[in-house]
Amino acid sequence: MTALITQAVILGILLGGLYALLAAGLTLYFGVMRVVMIAHSAFLILAAYLAWAFHRATGIDPLFSLVATVPLFFVLGVVMQRFLLSRLKPATLTMMSVLLTFAIALIIEGMLGFVWTGTQRRISLSYSTASIEVFGANIAVVKLVAFGLAAVSLLALYLLMKATSFGQALRATIQHKEAAALLGIDTEKVAGYGFGLGLATAAIGGTALALDSTIYPSLHWHWIGPLMAIIVVGGLGSIPGAAIAALVLGLSQSLLQIPLGTTWAQTVFYLALFLTLMVRPQGFFGGRLAQRF
Amino acid sequence: MASENLLELNDIEAGYGRAALVLRGLTVKVPAGSVVCLVGPNGAGKSTVLKVASGMLAPRSGSIVVDGEEVTGSGPQSMIRHGLSHVLQGHSVFKEMTVAENVSLGAYTVKDKAEVQERVEFVKNLFPVVADRWAALAGALSGGQQKQVEFARSLMVSPKVVLLDEPSMGLDPKTTSVVFEQVVRMREAGIAVLLVEQNARRALETADIGCVLDLGRVHITGPAPELLEDPQLAELYLGGGGGTRDADPTEDPTPSEARSPELSSPAPERT
Repeated sequence: MTALITQAVILGILLGGLYALLAAGLTLYFGVMRVVMIAHSAFLILAAYLAWAFHRATGIDPLFSLVATVPLFFVLGVVMQRFLLSRLKPATLTMMSVLLTFAIALIIEGMLGFVWTGTQRRISLSYSTASIEVFGANIAVVKLVAFGLAAVSLLALYLLMKATSFGQALRATIQHKEAAALLGIDTEKVAGYGFGLGLATAAIGGTALALDSTIYPSLHWHWIGPLMAIIVVGGLGSIPGAAIAALVLGLSQSLLQIPLGTTWAQTVFYLALFLTLMVRPQGFFGGRLAQRF
Repeated sequence: MASENLLELNDIEAGYGRAALVLRGLTVKVPAGSVVCLVGPNGAGKSTVLKVASGMLAPRSGSIVVDGEEVTGSGPQSMIRHGLSHVLQGHSVFKEMTVAENVSLGAYTVKDKAEVQERVEFVKNLFPVVADRWAALAGALSGGQQKQVEFARSLMVSPKVVLLDEPSMGLDPKTTSVVFEQVVRMREAGIAVLLVEQNARRALETADIGCVLDLGRVHITGPAPELLEDPQLAELYLGGGGGTRDADPTEDPTPSEARSPELSSPAPERT
């Protein structure tokens, strides 16, 4: 039993790390533009498909697909912000962004089905079935690779936000757009890059996901609910809040799988969502804390 | 070519969206090294003047001249390059960033690191609270301290003219005095100031030139000490009584009677 719990804890932390990266992107859109990006998980699955297609076509490790997908998704994010989301009226931006990005999610799903059919796909790598023993628990190497990818990406995101001129401009734009503009910051451009950054995290997360999961075009609906719950629990717009909520909920889900099974364990996200809305609607790192990185 | 007036707003007409004009042929000039204050009732268009000057709002007609160069229609980034810096009404520090980060962001458009460091030392000397609370979160500072951080941030680009929108808003009398002392220190440092203020008496006591706005036009302009002694102006805008009694920021400086029949219609400019 102890070994089972140890395994669940380790797997929960690894899963939470991946959730943290995916939720960081989702909450970044909201922080920068007050956009609820329903299509985030669809882009995630798109990146997973691109990693799978790259591996199938070249035989090279799918991680190398990141060289192309990260910049591609960044540019897609900038274009989406500039030509679609920035056209929405500020008064109804948040509500209309739900509708708009829902449509984008459907388009991506349809496109994936059209190009690669609805057949389930899975990447088979030389290390796909390999595992290592950690504190007596067997942990799949692909899960460790996915967690490592997420951890490195989150660290890079942190350093970018904290230690670069662009990061400071992005944080200033999030905190007081008008004051930022008066300092000479091109807030529209910065918001576009912020959006691109969010989508770039989907490219990394999708590739990490593809290492360890069976993928199919409608898989994004399975992901968007938990991710939305994470960013609400963490506090909309708060990247550290999203990361902490992701780790806690990932760990809870993993532990609950022991007595409840996979399906019922998933409900932890929604229970946490309901409890948060009842107890602290702004989320545990919401309000002013959401702007602290 | 250098001009005697660092900033000129000539015959400006401006408004928001398709709504009616807020500024209706307004002309304001800010000479080098002076503090010019705009006073007037709510809705007179005082803050709109600053938004037009800093490029946040494009005028529908008229011209903006900075140090002899016409810059009409330029956006905020261009206005900064031309030497204008705008401090917004209320608190506009980045509350979840440190004082150091706030001040550094003031030099966002300055690429020369040595120049940035020089400006940091300059603002630290001018505003000791900035040096004292350098590593603190800006949101943890008092209202008056936050305002000084905003002033310091606005000076990081070596502006020719600083536009201050109601710097005493929401501050207690003691802090208001500190803020106005800092405005005087800016002038002493050779920076011209265009000041919008509801606390009209205190603003005129600080300024060199006063402009009284009503319904989007300048109705009276002249040396601030003379405007302070003007009994009609005192009655209409300074809470009555004339003279130079101590300002009380808690008092509404623009009573409803301020919008008098005489000032609701265009009047000849008195200089």
